[in-house]
Amino acid sequence: MFFHITLERNMQLHPRHFGPHLRDKLVAKLMKDVEGTCSGRHGFVVAITGVEDIGKGLIREGTGFVTFPVKYQAVVFRPFKGEILEAVVTMVNKMGFFAEAGPVQIFVSNHLIPDDMEFQSGDMPNYTTSDGSVKIQKDSEVRLKIIGTRVDATEIFCIGTIKDDFLGVINDPGATA
Amino acid sequence: MSLEPFNRLVKLAARAFYDDVTIKGDNQPKAGRGDNRGMAVIVLDALTRRQWVREEDLAKALKLHSKQLRRTLRFFEEEKLVTREHRKESAKGAKIFNAAMAATADGQQGTKEGDEKMKMHMHSYCCLDYAQIYDVVRYRMHRMKKKIKDELDNRNTIQEYICPNSSCGRRYSAFDVLQLMSMDGESFLCENCKAELTESEKLAAEELGDGDDRKRRHEKLKDMLRKMEEQLKPLVTQLNRVKDLPAPEFGTLLAWEARAHAAAQATGDSNANDSSKSSQGQGYTGTPMPFLGETRVEVALSGLEAKEEIEHDTKPTSLKVLPPWMIKQGMNLTKEQRGEVNPQTKMEQGSSSVDDKKLNLDNEDEKSLQDEYLKAYYAALVKRQEEQEASQRAQQKTELPEGVSETPSERQVGMKSKREDGNDEIEWEEDPSIGNSGAEPYRLADLNVEADASDHEDEEDDIDWEEG
Ligand SMILES: [Zn+2]
Repeated sequence: MFFHITLERNMQLHPRHFGPHLRDKLVAKLMKDVEGTCSGRHGFVVAITGVEDIGKGLIREGTGFVTFPVKYQAVVFRPFKGEILEAVVTMVNKMGFFAEAGPVQIFVSNHLIPDDMEFQSGDMPNYTTSDGSVKIQKDSEVRLKIIGTRVDATEIFCIGTIKDDFLGVINDPGATA
Repeated sequence: MSLEPFNRLVKLAARAFYDDVTIKGDNQPKAGRGDNRGMAVIVLDALTRRQWVREEDLAKALKLHSKQLRRTLRFFEEEKLVTREHRKESAKGAKIFNAAMAATADGQQGTKEGDEKMKMHMHSYCCLDYAQIYDVVRYRMHRMKKKIKDELDNRNTIQEYICPNSSCGRRYSAFDVLQLMSMDGESFLCENCKAELTESEKLAAEELGDGDDRKRRHEKLKDMLRKMEEQLKPLVTQLNRVKDLPAPEFGTLLAWEARAHAAAQATGDSNANDSSKSSQGQGYTGTPMPFLGETRVEVALSGLEAKEEIEHDTKPTSLKVLPPWMIKQGMNLTKEQRGEVNPQTKMEQGSSSVDDKKLNLDNEDEKSLQDEYLKAYYAALVKRQEEQEASQRAQQKTELPEGVSETPSERQVGMKSKREDGNDEIEWEEDPSIGNSGAEPYRLADLNVEADASDHEDEEDDIDWEEG
């Protein structure tokens, strides 16, 4: 799920940036530092949408770096148990398959794949129904449901299932190729 | 707004889910008293015949200890079936409620003299919350089904992996697999011994040979699911029937009282239309006796109801043709039905026919517990009725029913409560045999009886429906 929230961060700026463009430098550095990172609490920071407030800088002794408390708004992405996501399959093996929904990695173990889909090994390992009408392989797009998340300080890993109504392949690039 | 479909829903749900509920007291003095299963059903049934009711009155009507009733009601409050309200009340407050009661009872404004003496007391009132009951029942069924299905499909379970090395035997969950991936991405390897991990349940199945158990378990789950769907079919049917109907809404106690009062004032004595509307398909032609069905239902507890149902069943004149399994206590009968039937003679045949029909028409349900229960219930009721009828016969003619009700046995819950509707019911049952088979006199007689009983709990329903 996506959220638009306000976050805070203490930014350290090198003295060489002190000048007319200090603020711009600070924002640029904030984006570079924060976007794409993940915190267990808020999820992945997708994009910074605005800087709300930059507090008074505090010069650090010895280094000359200045610490600015920055309040900014960001779009974050945090997967939840029970959430339905659309994801791209990145790898298939006999244990199941891995998929990505943006920054989130999801593993769907083989017992959470419908029983009528069998694993086929080969150059392009895949799960296929007996009539061959549905195939899950690398780059397939699937809709899955998160049934568990493991949230670490810097990483969120999810377990998903496609064994439920309206879940499974939503488009199959291999079928047309 | 019709109560009947919702009441049936309540009754079905009561039997499906609360039949074997034991309401535990803090201290159970006697072992024999510990088992009060079925009481929950009785209480719910009683509530379907009322709107807001003072809990002491209800306890009196059901011949339950008020503490016991309160425990049951608290349970149902937690189950979200019942709304309760408590308020400190002087004699005046009680009067208002009684007035509301009376107001709904054909505009008879008389209040009980006894209630005037009341001091400031905490009184509790309760009422079924139909809208919520509908949701609660649906949610409960959904959860039941989902639980079994999930277990069947192995759904929503996080896979576990185990190291096949007996010396290592480490276990991992699917959350760890990123770190465990082998170089070629084909399999997961043990962090410790680099052996290829296997899915723990597969291994378990091989090693422990419990594959058979799993299969059996699977079968059992499937069986459970099937049984559940089978046995809850009446409930599902009723849920569907009720789906698009507006749920009866009584509002808060205060609002309800105010409305009842206003209604009484507005309609005065000409509440013929109320009753015809609220009689919910009892086949009345605008006669102000809408609560006939409701009131009689009270006797359910005393055993007379079975006959009503039976008669109901035997007569095709009811508004809706109901499958036999639907026929439960508390069914409303048309006056004609009651009037034409000689209770004593019809009763035995009727009862057996119901049971038979039930068996024949619904072989699926026949096996179900519910029906088992019902059959037993009917049988017991019929038996009890016979006794009653006999004693009634003995004392008949112009006799008041109170005397009758006390004679048979102490087991007749609800019968003894003099001021309760139970009396009326008996009276009505007797009427036909007395010879008031004509429609008008019969009705008249009922009206008189009604006037005699000072506690008009059930009658409220009617006006209120008309309101809402
Ligand atoms: Zn190992």
